[in-house]
Amino acid sequence: MAGEVDPQSDVSLLGGRPRTLHLKMLRKQWQIITLQVVATIALVWMYLEVVSTYVVNSIDHTMVFETLESLVGEVPIGDWITGEGRQGLARFYVPIILGLLLGGSMALMAFQSPKLQQRIKLGFIILLMTSLVGRLLLTWVPSMIFSLDFRAPSEGELQTLEWPLLMILSLMILFVYLLPVIMGTRGIWGLSRRSIGWAIGFTLLFLGIHAILTFPLIKSQLGDWGANLKTLETQVSDPTIGIFGFDLVTPEQLSLILIAVLIMVFQESGFGVIRYLEYAYRLPESCKRDPEYVKQMDNVLNGHLRHTAGFLTVTGLMTMIALGFHSVLLEIVSSSTGSQWAAQVSESIELSLTYGLVISALLFLSLVALMRFFIPWERVWGLIESLGNKTQEPVEEKKF
Amino acid sequence: MWTRKAAFTFTGGIALILIGMMITNNQMMILGLALITFIVVNSWVSGHGDIEVQRTLSADNLYKGDDLYVELLVTNRSNRRTQLLDVYDNIPHEMKLRSGLNQMRLNLKPGESARIRYVLRCPLRGHYSIGPVSLRVRNTFNLGVEDMYVDHHSDLVIFPQIKEVEEAFLRSRTPKMYTGATTLRTPGQGSEFYSLREYVPGDPFKNINWKAFARTGDLMVNEKCRDAVTDLYILLDSRDVSRIGTVLKNPLEMGTVSAASLAAFFLKRRDSVALSIYGDGLSYLPPDTGDKQYFKILSSLAGVKPEGSMPLQAVTNSLSGRFSRGSPVFVISSCEGDGTVPAAVRDLVGRGHEVTVLSPSSIDFERLVSRIPRMSYEVLKLERQNRLTTLAGSGAQVIDWMPDMDLSQAIMQVRGF
Repeated sequence: MAGEVDPQSDVSLLGGRPRTLHLKMLRKQWQIITLQVVATIALVWMYLEVVSTYVVNSIDHTMVFETLESLVGEVPIGDWITGEGRQGLARFYVPIILGLLLGGSMALMAFQSPKLQQRIKLGFIILLMTSLVGRLLLTWVPSMIFSLDFRAPSEGELQTLEWPLLMILSLMILFVYLLPVIMGTRGIWGLSRRSIGWAIGFTLLFLGIHAILTFPLIKSQLGDWGANLKTLETQVSDPTIGIFGFDLVTPEQLSLILIAVLIMVFQESGFGVIRYLEYAYRLPESCKRDPEYVKQMDNVLNGHLRHTAGFLTVTGLMTMIALGFHSVLLEIVSSSTGSQWAAQVSESIELSLTYGLVISALLFLSLVALMRFFIPWERVWGLIESLGNKTQEPVEEKKF
Repeated sequence: MWTRKAAFTFTGGIALILIGMMITNNQMMILGLALITFIVVNSWVSGHGDIEVQRTLSADNLYKGDDLYVELLVTNRSNRRTQLLDVYDNIPHEMKLRSGLNQMRLNLKPGESARIRYVLRCPLRGHYSIGPVSLRVRNTFNLGVEDMYVDHHSDLVIFPQIKEVEEAFLRSRTPKMYTGATTLRTPGQGSEFYSLREYVPGDPFKNINWKAFARTGDLMVNEKCRDAVTDLYILLDSRDVSRIGTVLKNPLEMGTVSAASLAAFFLKRRDSVALSIYGDGLSYLPPDTGDKQYFKILSSLAGVKPEGSMPLQAVTNSLSGRFSRGSPVFVISSCEGDGTVPAAVRDLVGRGHEVTVLSPSSIDFERLVSRIPRMSYEVLKLERQNRLTTLAGSGAQVIDWMPDMDLSQAIMQVRGF
């Protein structure tokens, strides 16, 4: 009888649907979506930073397409897609959107049933084969049948292969350029660690290869092609960006810091989502419905969001200060003592070159690391939190 | 402690700085510096403040096979967040999770509490302890991990199961062990007068002594002497040989169940029950009656372990002097590997005791875990039959108890051999 049925303890009596930790519901939770959006923004931003720093006007895809067109012929993909004719970073806007869409659809496909996935893959292969040899077969085979002559395809018939081959080649070039975006999007939204790893790995691989190729000895061996590669003269120029009135880093250095921080934001947000969803997935059914688990999952996710914003911002700022620490030291020494010695040291180029910069940066980081023993950060933040904290007493529930 | 990820990040950072310095590449150096900074900044905050743990059990004593409801209240008493904290309540490996989970990942605000609720199935008797509570603090980005524990234990006793045997005793040829009611000079339910005492609320009106009330003006009640029907002695074999079989089905497990059930049955009838467990040594619980004795017997049985090789003869030699004359004795033993059983039984029968041997068939238990060739099985079975027949010939009632047989069924199968 309905009158005898009590609501279960996990049912929300405050109205609305009860919240549980089922993946279907958890994936729509605002913290998870925020983390995914943050990871996606970091991915795109990082890609744009890398591209604007190293690729645009140097080795970008439009230049490859131009070379291809000069060698083979018109590329079948429209310029509005490839970005040819546009200037600077604008060349990458449409391809990035396409990359995001492709990565998103791959993620969507990952959640379909294996049977449907197999069908989609099969359909894609058939489409690829049809577009590649379809026109050739449609012209060559009927002509053989009607003329009752078994022969090799003619020149004209073989030319029908040109368009699909160029199309596939162009798509492959775009795919290679957009690999971090495609794999990254697939990893974030399709919850694939491997794809996120691919996106980070490919970016680092590119940076590594670029670093090796721009090494003066190797670059000189590359001739004209090597001259196209961008090198960053970041050390000897004067810093213009800083905080607290100190000029710490050059715009180029800031761009490099941004790349490093964005890689970390992307990595930690992307992997974080997967880690928490995995944890929720492994919980038994009764725990998924338990309001305590739901509440603590909220706490954990909120904590992750706070730390992502806080720690990674601080990481960026600290890296900036570390890089500009030598100049800060000199400025403090010269302004406080005004001695000739300080002026002489500040003019020393050794201090602002690689070794001086790295040693002073590591010195600063060591000092920062030691600060944990002098400043109880947890207590300071805890105190701030507890001042504004209005934690409710836990609701007494019926005992067994 | 650094995690593998932190170690890789730090090593990678240093490597990138060094390579960057070697090939004068700023991106590598800056990436390396950023990784080191990330580690440094994350080292500022460590989690877990002052955690208080409180565990509530649905019962301290349970019967084998029952469910135990556990609730663990974790409270953050400090003025800071715990950060990412994995709480794991250590449970004995003999217990199985029936529902819920004995762990939770949480991030408690200052003063906040979280409840972990789970249900355990207790399939094995024994004395157990739940706890300590393990805590693992993780960095949000999984760069640092620290293991700790809160030394909070909850002890509980899992008693053997109690089987209903009343009907079996009524219908079986098991000795009707009524040696005549004995009056014990202790107050309790009985028929003979013991003393007068003042009325206390709750005493039944029928016990009020109205004459005494008229004489003294105070309400007085009659107290009666407790009647005990008989003293029953249970001798349980817990020698090492009694572990034959599976963890859940072996002669010792069946023996504890039968001893507990017999004790429950006779104590319910207000008889006195004594328990003697022999194996590594001899433990003896003198005859007594009531709930306290019931609890003592169950507690003793809960802690029985298969060990030792004490012969039955040694037990009877040591205890027979303490046995009340003519009282029934239950010997619960597989009778394996003890050549003194016939002599011990003969001795007990000779002293006028009604001896019943309840013998779990160890060969059939062994069959549950290992394959015995048919011929060997038949021979072993025959040997066992001969052994039991010898016991029956000594004047004991012998029950051959097969693994798949219920206790009441076994009792009803008493035959003279």
